[in-house]
Amino acid sequence: MVLKESGVRRQEAGEAGGLRRLLLGRTIVAAVAVGALGAALTAAAPDRHSRCYYVYVAAESDDEVSLVRYGRNGAEVIKTISVGSFPAEVEGPHGLAIGPDGGYWYVSIAHGFPYGSVHKYETGTDTWVGDVTLGLFPATLDVASSTGLLYAVNFNLHGPLEPSSISVVEVETMTEVARVEAGIRPHGGRLSPDGSFFYSVNMMDFELVELDALGFEVRRRLSLGDGVRPTWVSQPTADGKVYVTGNNVAKIFEVDLESWQVERTFETGPGPYNLDLTTDGSTLVATYKGGDSVGFWDLESGRERGRTDTSRTIPHGVVVTPDGEYAFVTLEGVGAEPGTVEVYHVPTGERVGAVDVGKQAGGIAFWKMEG
Amino acid sequence: MTSFRSALVWVAGAAVSLSVAQVAAETQQPAGQAEQLTVEVSPRRLTLGVGEKLTLVATVRDADGAVVDDATVVFFSRARRSVGVTRQGEVEAFRPGEFTLIALVPEDPDDQSRRPDARVRVEVPVTVPKPLVERVSFTQLPPKFYVGTRPQLAVEVFDTLGETRTDVAVSFSTSAARVADVDRFGFLTLLEPGTVEIVASAEDAADTVSVEVESNPVTSLELQASVATARTGEVVRFTAIAKDARGLAVRGVPVQLAVGGQTSPEIIAAGAAAQIADDGRFVAERSGIYTVVASSGSHSAARTVSIERRDVRREVEVVGRGKVLDRHTSDLWIWEGTDGRDYAITGTWGADGHSYIWDVTDPANIEKLQEVKVDARTVNDVKVSEDGDIAVISREGASDRKNGIVVLGVGNPREGVPVLSEFTDQLTGGVHNVFISEDHVFALSAGRRYDVISIEDPSKPQRVGRFELDTPAHSVHDVWISDGVAFSSNWTDGVVATDVGGGGRGGTPEQPVELGRYAYPNGWNHAAFPYRSQSTGTFYLFAGDESFPYGGYDSKAGGAPSRAAGWIHVIDWSDWDNPHEVARYQVPEAGSHNLWVEDDVLYVAFYNGGLRVVDISGELMGDLYKQGREIAMFVPADPDGFIANAPFVWGPQPFKGHIFFSDWNTGLWAVKLKERTGPGRIVGEPQ
Repeated sequence: MVLKESGVRRQEAGEAGGLRRLLLGRTIVAAVAVGALGAALTAAAPDRHSRCYYVYVAAESDDEVSLVRYGRNGAEVIKTISVGSFPAEVEGPHGLAIGPDGGYWYVSIAHGFPYGSVHKYETGTDTWVGDVTLGLFPATLDVASSTGLLYAVNFNLHGPLEPSSISVVEVETMTEVARVEAGIRPHGGRLSPDGSFFYSVNMMDFELVELDALGFEVRRRLSLGDGVRPTWVSQPTADGKVYVTGNNVAKIFEVDLESWQVERTFETGPGPYNLDLTTDGSTLVATYKGGDSVGFWDLESGRERGRTDTSRTIPHGVVVTPDGEYAFVTLEGVGAEPGTVEVYHVPTGERVGAVDVGKQAGGIAFWKMEG
Repeated sequence: MTSFRSALVWVAGAAVSLSVAQVAAETQQPAGQAEQLTVEVSPRRLTLGVGEKLTLVATVRDADGAVVDDATVVFFSRARRSVGVTRQGEVEAFRPGEFTLIALVPEDPDDQSRRPDARVRVEVPVTVPKPLVERVSFTQLPPKFYVGTRPQLAVEVFDTLGETRTDVAVSFSTSAARVADVDRFGFLTLLEPGTVEIVASAEDAADTVSVEVESNPVTSLELQASVATARTGEVVRFTAIAKDARGLAVRGVPVQLAVGGQTSPEIIAAGAAAQIADDGRFVAERSGIYTVVASSGSHSAARTVSIERRDVRREVEVVGRGKVLDRHTSDLWIWEGTDGRDYAITGTWGADGHSYIWDVTDPANIEKLQEVKVDARTVNDVKVSEDGDIAVISREGASDRKNGIVVLGVGNPREGVPVLSEFTDQLTGGVHNVFISEDHVFALSAGRRYDVISIEDPSKPQRVGRFELDTPAHSVHDVWISDGVAFSSNWTDGVVATDVGGGGRGGTPEQPVELGRYAYPNGWNHAAFPYRSQSTGTFYLFAGDESFPYGGYDSKAGGAPSRAAGWIHVIDWSDWDNPHEVARYQVPEAGSHNLWVEDDVLYVAFYNGGLRVVDISGELMGDLYKQGREIAMFVPADPDGFIANAPFVWGPQPFKGHIFFSDWNTGLWAVKLKERTGPGRIVGEPQ
């Protein structure tokens, strides 16, 4: 497969707005325009930390992946990598994951022809390493630290409601080593910390699925209620809970993995879509796709302690930094609007940064902290 | 979870050939790991025949060499369709080749660090030998073998699985070299009358054919040409006739044809300028004098023809433009409206879901009448019904991810273009291309298949049929309907013709029936245009590629120009069961996109190579570009384009004496061919 050569965009420190483009051979180095809101927030970036945080973000309708940094200069795009093979076809990067050792990032090219693929890039250099063709619309993906195997749900958004699958990929050679039938419209997969189990949801089978990640077979299914459309499941907490969105019923379900039952149900804003947890398991951050907002949940009390409207429509992905300080949220936008990455201070729910990226920003993965 | 203990041994499930006895495999583990584990797999490598099974035994040991009880081992295959392995380690071979199995011990499950140490793993090589050759057979033997001729014998090789093998060396031998000798390619040299046995051998299999060599009755060879003078690109038919002493034609005599000649003196270093096929069809790319030589045994004959320049070149004049400079433009359609005026609709790409309706009655003064905005980022395709009343546009990148198609009323564009309906059911993955034929929309669903949607009531579209290939990893990119036959373009699966009402095999929009398919090696099939030649009556399918092997592009505003590859494949499809590719139109360093054929003229968008207009009159054979058949080229550019000065022609449509085309970076163009004022420039032929 021949790939697009990377068009690299870089925002220089302290620059917000104003497109400045310098041609350096075949590489484009550019300041990236930050939206008005983003510019204001950049100027007001807090000094409460000395760290820099890096996330990779996929722009599904621009066939781009951007590297976004949040630090003293606020949120900024420091690099944009073109993905896919055809300039005149939208191939749709959707899900992102960073390998356990931080050395590689993986992106699912969802739209495909029509079968999608997962591509492997080296972090930092963003050099393309390899790819593997998977099923229809590979979406969410995760990589097991214990085995190095990558798991990707084949969402199959293309047509009739028919069972689809979870692909297992060995990432050293980018080989699909198993494909396991999961259910209708599998989405939102996350691995247990030890890599033994992969949890995903079947959006149109209305259930949570537990895959034996070492034996490559579905072990348990949990119905979330007739007609309840789940879109995401969190990584299991240390005390054996996962959280599942009920996108069309405005609920989040807390599922106990031992009893395999819903223990608590949280009433949320409209359209809860993606979730992430702080490492200590105390706070759950949820994007509300139908409500253009982000919710912050205290899991001990089961109360939503804060909800913040997003600056643009259609919030999609969320990832919380390992120190629990910040949540990075992607906003798809509509039509020709750019996508946006917003940064929220988790303890307060305050939005502290934002920067525009390519159209239909969706998948997001945390790479590293510095400082 | 599978546990392995030292005493636990699985038994091989089939007779196998073990290349090495049970030996501990070397594990891959970095230094410094907290707990030094090793995993041993027995056997460390294996050889299995197709269909055979063997169970691997894995043992995990700690740094002291003690077996780790209840250790978890994960088995998987890097080629599971060729060699499979179960979680218990049972291996089964499906296909020949060299493969690798992995036995992996997951890292310490209690290690919750973000960067745990690497896993312990071992690779197990598996060799699955190719099946033995079972049978060799001579095929298509010549009817007669005459002294002095040099026929070739063809063979097929089959293995024990029944597969045809082309990777096996075949040797030939003769029982009587004085009668007939045979070389390593199977060519016979027939020396004298008699009977000889020719043996073809591959591995331990062989086939024998008895050849009766007869005296050669040929006393003369005659060569005829269909014309004495032709133009470049014109197919001339040469016919060789072998005659006996009575002057009667002798059938079944092998005749070899070859061509030599001289190009016109002003053409320097012309390269190979002409070709002749085995069946006697000749075509020249350059003007000059060419001699075809026929030979059979000791007889030969020659015939010379003169070839003149085709000289069809015309210049292009820009008549008008409908500029779109703030976003990419996609496809176009031009039609005569119900009010007698002429209109165009264009789509937009990677933007805000717009399509534009233009009045093009006066191509010199193109007027934008309407903007239709739908929830999409790309309106890749636009089509208008035969009666000019309905338009259908495709949607990709809708914010609600429903995509599908939108039906527009274009019966009176000057007054408005209402949205009559949308149809998204099972088209949520995005619609890339559509076609309208007799109240039916053929809409691609995310490249997987095309659905047939009735718009008899345009306010209530409903699906009535669908067509999907059953090949592995199939992918459809485009569909075009002509006379009740749908021609879909399917990348590696090529063009597929389907009867949807006019193919004569009972197909309907509700129940499409496949008529035939043709795939070609590069796998770039992107679009197709069916056409019956006005000058010859031959039914051709013009299949276009799309490919971007060069990289280096950036589609954003102010981005970088792109460069494509690929060409137009000309397929003679007069017989549904026997499509064969006869010609190509390939522009160096540019690539094809959409195309149109009318009045024996090919109009084709070549992305960075601009618009090309090609004379396709007469029989088509060989490289049309090199034959000087190109009538015109036009490469649009605009310094204010979405990407400045970056021609990227998307699609053409001839209409009422003008040629309209859309360009990705500049919008809609209307051009026309200028009148001839003298000899035209011909590729490769200096003036």
